[in-house]
Amino acid sequence: MVEKSRAVRKAKEICKNSIRDMRTIFPAFFVATLISVMLDFFIPEELVYAVLGENPVLSIVLATVLGIILPIPRYATYPIALSLLQKGATIGTIFALISGEVIIGSPDRDVMEFSYFGWKSFVLRGTLCTIFVIIGSLIVEAIL
Amino acid sequence: MIMEMLYIAVMRFLYSVPILVVAIFSAHLISTFISRERVESFLRKTERNILGASLIGLVTPGPLAPYLPLLRVLKKRGLSLSVVAAFITSQTLVGPMRAFLEVDFFGVPFFALRVVISFLTALGVGAFYHAFGNHIGLDVSATSKEEEDK
Repeated sequence: MVEKSRAVRKAKEICKNSIRDMRTIFPAFFVATLISVMLDFFIPEELVYAVLGENPVLSIVLATVLGIILPIPRYATYPIALSLLQKGATIGTIFALISGEVIIGSPDRDVMEFSYFGWKSFVLRGTLCTIFVIIGSLIVEAIL
Repeated sequence: MIMEMLYIAVMRFLYSVPILVVAIFSAHLISTFISRERVESFLRKTERNILGASLIGLVTPGPLAPYLPLLRVLKKRGLSLSVVAAFITSQTLVGPMRAFLEVDFFGVPFFALRVVISFLTALGVGAFYHAFGNHIGLDVSATSKEEEDK
């Protein structure tokens, strides 16, 4: 009986937390989907290929930097990345964009990391992470 | 044209809703099995273990922010900064929720490769952090509370 009520309580908690997350993720995901459709309509394939496909090394570095600086919410990168892939971006570039997006996260997370472990730690981790993401993206480019 | 764009966006969004719902529920289901307490007990055992911290980070669900105060406390109790860096890196690069979305959008090989490379990235960040941290004035060594008291 106790076990059952505990399971019910857990299930309720999972549902409650999931619905709370959906309220924030769904709007962001819809906006990202809308942006991806706009990319389909307005950005010519030649341009995407020239910037994010022609030179894999430069494309990967650019995508990593874009992923870091663009304020794309978590999970909202995927529709945009898929649209870019279909327009001619390379798979390594997509990998770099998705991985680069999380190097610098939300402002609250970054401020916490910054204040808890210091700016040197934050900068060193960010720099190392960027270098490894670029190397990893080049490996993906070669394998896939 | 605006109506056409909106229509396509709504249709694509609706197509993604089921996978989003499954991903969100699964992430919360996993988080009940991998609770903050369990992560804490794992991290306590990995004072100097970058490999262990990278692995734990890979399977830890949800955003990083709730784990940062825990990492700060564990750091004060002796967890090495390079282990903290490895955990933060792998936790942010991959997550259970991302698995569903990535497989849906880019396929299994892409996701599998991203998990492997993210794990290696976390290992590399931890190792290089350990190697370079001391040179820029970071105390990367793990010191237990007893050692600190002495």
